[in-house]
Amino acid sequence: MAQTSSHALADTTVIDTDVHITVEEETIAEYLDEPYRSSILDSPHPVFPSSSWDQRMGGKIDDHFSTFTGPADIRQFQSDFNIDYPIINTFEPLGKFSQPDLAMSLMRAYNDLLMDRFLDDYDFLGLAAVATQKPAEAAEEIDRMGDEDQIVGIYLGTSGEYPPLGDPSNDPIYKAAEDNGLPVVFHGNGDEFMFDFPHHNKGFNNYFEVQTLGHPWQQMATMSSLIGEGVPAKFPDLDFVFLEAGIGWVPYMMHRMNKIYRMRRSEVPLLEKSPEEYVRDQFYIGSQPLGEPNGAEDMKRMIETLGADLLMFATDYPHWDFDHLEELDKYLQHYFSEEERQKILYETPVEAFNLDL
Amino acid sequence: MSEHTVSTVDEIQDGERKLVEVEGREIAIFRLDGEFYAYTNWCAHQGGPACEGSVTGTRNAEFDREELETDLEWCKEDEILNCPWHGWEYDIPSGDCLSRDGTKLPGHPVKVEEQEIIVSL
Repeated sequence: MAQTSSHALADTTVIDTDVHITVEEETIAEYLDEPYRSSILDSPHPVFPSSSWDQRMGGKIDDHFSTFTGPADIRQFQSDFNIDYPIINTFEPLGKFSQPDLAMSLMRAYNDLLMDRFLDDYDFLGLAAVATQKPAEAAEEIDRMGDEDQIVGIYLGTSGEYPPLGDPSNDPIYKAAEDNGLPVVFHGNGDEFMFDFPHHNKGFNNYFEVQTLGHPWQQMATMSSLIGEGVPAKFPDLDFVFLEAGIGWVPYMMHRMNKIYRMRRSEVPLLEKSPEEYVRDQFYIGSQPLGEPNGAEDMKRMIETLGADLLMFATDYPHWDFDHLEELDKYLQHYFSEEERQKILYETPVEAFNLDL
Repeated sequence: MSEHTVSTVDEIQDGERKLVEVEGREIAIFRLDGEFYAYTNWCAHQGGPACEGSVTGTRNAEFDREELETDLEWCKEDEILNCPWHGWEYDIPSGDCLSRDGTKLPGHPVKVEEQEIIVSL
């Protein structure tokens, strides 16, 4: 397990906006009703499909993932990684399921599990899983979870979602989230590349290509859909959080969407200001997986372009491509003021998730 | 500022425009609902010939949050100028750019005296 060498971290309150818990199939089965409980436990057909790319690099890297299943694991992670407030989620992207009732059952089961095993007896913060296959049922689930003090947002995987997430059919979800004061958190997934990009999934010959593009393509598609459908204009008090695609894609998208918007304004008349303004006013971005420019000054400029009002720290622990705090903090400590650093590590997530700490 | 007679009223029918050159600058005179408007033929985006573009309406939208319904409305028929390079929209009566807040077509005062259209530059 990595140990931080920086004494400065001990004096800094750090919120981690993306901590996954691993839920084994036998465990989620306990929270499911029939027929899905038996389907998961007894059927030879896999209930959880994936692209089957090798995330563990043929065993070259440690498996932090499969044993990260309980509150004690999160406590150990907090200690090892200097994380004061982990915001945890049950990870499983639910958009890929073609059986709507299975997706709804899994949504409720993950949230029951999250409360029962992680939040009821511990002071962790969590995100409520949401499946979009039946938006009215999803809205009811958001109302149910919205009553829980430790639930600070709703969690949507951006892989396998059809139609794209800004589609008006999802408006009941956004309305419920806004009514409950919960930001919507979008999370990309590399191993579900085939659900959105089946031709490329078949055509690429190695995971390098898939992992490079999977998360940003999914997040770009989601951000484009949200802005193009006017979702932030429809729900002006709703905030949107994007995790697991790094940060470099965000300036690109803001600037590109500005350009296209100015050409095609009449196609998106719900928008009352430029896409960049919507992103800066209502969107937040998790740092992980932070890009690795050969010149550190390039990352300094990238962080400056985004600004401390948008950027939040995220580890993505315990997944194989997690970032240690040091990965972002080396830039913050070297190039930015203590006030800006405090914003990114603490104050901006407090604002994004309306935290009462 | 100097005054220039650029056209007679009869030369520009309602809904039409005329492009003229004044002091080396391309100026477009638009006639809309009996009023005359003069703008430099220059788009704030990339300097394209905005005043030579198509004149159309545009779309507005309103969202009903209770019903979750979006009402699209075609409006400002014959009042919207579209730059032929990239489609930036301008409102002809005000010169305001709809594509980018705070941007306008460069406008010039126009008056009509004895059936002649006079632009001040």
